Amino acid sequence: MAKAPILGLFETADHAADAGDALKAAGVSQADYDFLTDTPYPEGAFGEREEPHRIYIFPFVGALIGLTVGIMLTSMTQLAYPLTQGGKPILSLPPMAVVTYESTMLTAIVFTIIGIIFESRLPAFKQGLYDTRITEGYIGVLVNVDEDQLGSTQALLTQAGAIDVVRNDGGSAA
Amino acid sequence: MQEGKPLDSRQVNRELLVSILNSPKWFFGAIAVLGFIVLVAMSSAGFMINQGFGVTGLNRPVMWGFFITNFVFWIGISHAGVMLSAILRLSKAEWRRPATRAAEILTVFSLMTAMTMPLIHTGRPWRTVYWIYTLPFVPYDYARGIWPNIRTPLVWDPSAVYTYLTSSILFVLVALIPDFAVLRDRTTGMSHRIYGMLAMGWQGNARQWKLQIIAGVLLSALILPVFVSVHSIVSWDFGMAVSVKSWHSTIFAPYFVVGAVHSGVSAVAFVLIILRYIYGWQNYIRHEHIDALARLLIVVATGWFYFFVMEVVFGFYGREADEIAVRNLQFTISPWNIWMMIFVGMTYFLPVSIWLSKSLRRNLWVMSLACIFVNIGMWLERFLIIVPGLARKQLLTFDWYTYRPSSVEWIIIIGTFALVSMLMLTIARVVPLIPLYDIKEGEILRTEIKIGRVTVPAVFRED
Amino acid sequence: MAATEPKGHGQHADMWVFPDASVMTADMGEKTNAMPRPFTMGLAVAGILFILGIVGFVARAADDGFGEIGPWGYYMAIFSMVFMVTSGAPLAAVAFRFTKSHWRRPLSRVAELFSIVGILNLLMFIPLVFVLPDIANPGEVAEGELAVRRTIWFEGPIGAPHAWDLVGVGFLAITSMAILWISVIPDMAECRFTATGFRRTIYNKLSGGWFGTKRQWNSQKAGLALLGAFYFMTLIFMHFVISSDYAQSLIPGWKDSIFPVIYTITSLQMSLGVILVVMFIMRRWGGYEGYIGKSMFWSASKVLLGITLLWVYHLFAFFITFWYGRLEIEQNIIKYLVTDTYAIIFLLNLIFSFAAPFAVLLWNPVRRSAWGPALAGVLVLFGGLMFNIRIFVGAANAAPGADLYKPIMERVPAPVYPDIFDVFMVIGGLGAAAFIYLLSTRVLPVISLWEVKEGALYQKWGKLIRGEYLILGKPE
Repeated sequence: MAKAPILGLFETADHAADAGDALKAAGVSQADYDFLTDTPYPEGAFGEREEPHRIYIFPFVGALIGLTVGIMLTSMTQLAYPLTQGGKPILSLPPMAVVTYESTMLTAIVFTIIGIIFESRLPAFKQGLYDTRITEGYIGVLVNVDEDQLGSTQALLTQAGAIDVVRNDGGSAA
Repeated sequence: MQEGKPLDSRQVNRELLVSILNSPKWFFGAIAVLGFIVLVAMSSAGFMINQGFGVTGLNRPVMWGFFITNFVFWIGISHAGVMLSAILRLSKAEWRRPATRAAEILTVFSLMTAMTMPLIHTGRPWRTVYWIYTLPFVPYDYARGIWPNIRTPLVWDPSAVYTYLTSSILFVLVALIPDFAVLRDRTTGMSHRIYGMLAMGWQGNARQWKLQIIAGVLLSALILPVFVSVHSIVSWDFGMAVSVKSWHSTIFAPYFVVGAVHSGVSAVAFVLIILRYIYGWQNYIRHEHIDALARLLIVVATGWFYFFVMEVVFGFYGREADEIAVRNLQFTISPWNIWMMIFVGMTYFLPVSIWLSKSLRRNLWVMSLACIFVNIGMWLERFLIIVPGLARKQLLTFDWYTYRPSSVEWIIIIGTFALVSMLMLTIARVVPLIPLYDIKEGEILRTEIKIGRVTVPAVFRED
Repeated sequence: MAATEPKGHGQHADMWVFPDASVMTADMGEKTNAMPRPFTMGLAVAGILFILGIVGFVARAADDGFGEIGPWGYYMAIFSMVFMVTSGAPLAAVAFRFTKSHWRRPLSRVAELFSIVGILNLLMFIPLVFVLPDIANPGEVAEGELAVRRTIWFEGPIGAPHAWDLVGVGFLAITSMAILWISVIPDMAECRFTATGFRRTIYNKLSGGWFGTKRQWNSQKAGLALLGAFYFMTLIFMHFVISSDYAQSLIPGWKDSIFPVIYTITSLQMSLGVILVVMFIMRRWGGYEGYIGKSMFWSASKVLLGITLLWVYHLFAFFITFWYGRLEIEQNIIKYLVTDTYAIIFLLNLIFSFAAPFAVLLWNPVRRSAWGPALAGVLVLFGGLMFNIRIFVGAANAAPGADLYKPIMERVPAPVYPDIFDVFMVIGGLGAAAFIYLLSTRVLPVISLWEVKEGALYQKWGKLIRGEYLILGKPE
């Protein structure tokens, strides 16, 4: 059976959390529902699932690449211009250190940005079920259930205090 | 802290998006005036490039004057972004919330403006391209057997500034994603499509918010070392030079960095006061924020003063005739000594005296003046490091010279201030200068503790 | 146990402790009176080292007298190390109190107690007053020599630098002890009713008249703030003075404006390191886990990481300016202090003051533990010792005799290795500081009762929707 999304909109965080409790009690897996908010709540505020990530790998990989590129760029440039300046050696480590440091940090930061966007599962070309009232302060509970359970899920959300329930088939129930 | 009244999401959206969704009448007039000043400055720069550097006051040995002073000044202003955004985010200061976005954007624009200074200072800016490319993939100089000094701090400079600029832009853009989503939901037509693209399909689920918070902390930790390195490397443009005695000082790096933070944070405080006034953001930029900025500035200013004293003391310590000549010019010969007194007074004694008083810290007119004084003083600081050093650079006194800026230089300098102001006003029409979700998060985490009869404001903390 | 179970969420589990104010005084009284076996053994070891230090000092004085500074290089190094650590530690209490960091409360008294070692600083400094060469050239000024060597005192006002330095070190000790006294008054007042013997006498004498009225609390707060600011300025000044008089000005031609800053940062790094080590020992073996939560280590380790990065940054700023300048004296200084003479000591300094603590503190889980920051603390203490040996032994032996009055150091001297008396003096200095500190913890409560109780008022565990988090009051 194909899964379909359904979005319940709640005025308060407590009602949204009640909906989460009700979904858990009804046997809906934590992986199948999400809380959509317009601001970050402290982790665990809704009793939601933990979100493991591997973001920390990205800056390390980026730093390693940047370090390599920096060392190569600076050493090869100095060897390409083998002119003794001010008594400094051809391969001068302190100036190399400065430029290598900058390239390390730049690549680490760029890779971190890529990692953040990637781990956030962005860009989401198909945004999925959404309601603009979420950015007005309403809290959305987005549930993915089997199509034949849409009705019962809608009732569950309404009972938990949803002011509106939105479905992909254009249905909406206040 | 937390003196303001509670705010709900709709109110926050309505009030903070006013600069984007509404078109006040004064806006176009302001842009026109600033744009005109920028155009005049660009024309002056064009005139200077066409006629040559003789139209400026620069002459042997003072080959660096207003432009380089201005370059260092704007690099300095750019440091506020990271100071406020990164350091306050890492230390979890609640009062950072309204200040971070404006500071980060000021960073980006002041960096861009700073970079125009060395560009026009080359005299023949088109040659900059030649360093990189003329013949297929071979730099001009290398192809003609001209071997530049690639170990110089003038090569470290662009690597640092570009790193900082790229990092700052990316940091701002990533932090803007949730606010782009709000704008996507509030706009129609082409704006809706553009904001939608920039929001990249943001939904606001727990995973996305978690990564946003981590992004803030991780990028802050990564960009902090870059921020320290940028102005250190700019200071080494001077510090590495042995020929100008008063420049070859080991303390230049931290001295310049702390000075940059001082001028940058003062500039941000000034910008916040202006934004509060023009957009009516009294609920968001409150007296407590300006008070906190002022208290931070006392610490930063005192740190700066310590480095300044160390630099001067060790300038005299060596008792070398050529360095004493520079110090003599700075401290005893008019008008340099008068500028020196004005600079120290405006940078430290006057503003810190103001900031020590709670009522004056919370008086926005006085704070604006104090912040302007700091920036005038810090501009003078860079001027008084660069020009007297060069004016006494040569061993033979008949080569000593002075410096008088021409009107071309004045116009270009004023043009840079107009450029940054114009860019800030323009960007305020496109992105919210106070992060919406940050303010909303502050409201969610706000709570109270009752101790006896007193109710003390409190926050929820995860770590 | 004077606390509830530690609490925390997710990866911050067990971070926060919530001490029970009602049992704190009795608990602290018990702990202050106790002399458990590991503690007495530690005290005995420190005492033995102290005695060895005195033996080494007497032997050195008998052998070489106080006429030349060269033989006293290692003594200068250990004085500087003890001075840096014990004068910097009270600044940690002052600084974190100024920033209103909630996590500093258990750390304050641990830091302030180091001010008692200020007496040792003053006593150790007295011989150094005699060995420091005069500013004015004592002999006939030969060609190529200076009449007055380069110092921060320039032509040398009366008594400079000897008398001024001594007054400064003494003043610093007095100021830090004043801060300690003002901070400990409320605790002594509270403990005087349950204390016995000499402790009761001390508490009564030093806290008499304290009843905890609003006026007294306000005065105490203002006093701590003012004295703290004063101490901060005096400390920075004395770091500038000691690092210039006993290091920089003893190497002719060494003109380095950043060196006092490096000295101060090394001091702050070592101070924070020793505080973390002490707090780890207290938590792990001292029974203080109810007062010292992991959140303190989590927050303080971030500061230590920042200071460590600042240290290497300032070092690089010094190095690259001298390296790029290529002046003869600059190259000689680099060869002497960095790449040739004291290269191995420099390498150890770099590894233990930067590379190793950075590698340890980089990881979130390590910073979240208690052992991680304490390990970093041990590393930076050793790194700081290497720093002081490199600089002060180097300075004492850079330009013997008339060479001190030359404009620049013309040749790069050979390294000076320690003899047995030097080793005794180094370990003796460390032992003496530890001995005095340990004794002081048996007299005064090592946790600031009033601050921790104040923190308990503003800290509680609370619910937000479905999660439980720390609620932190912000009265300012």
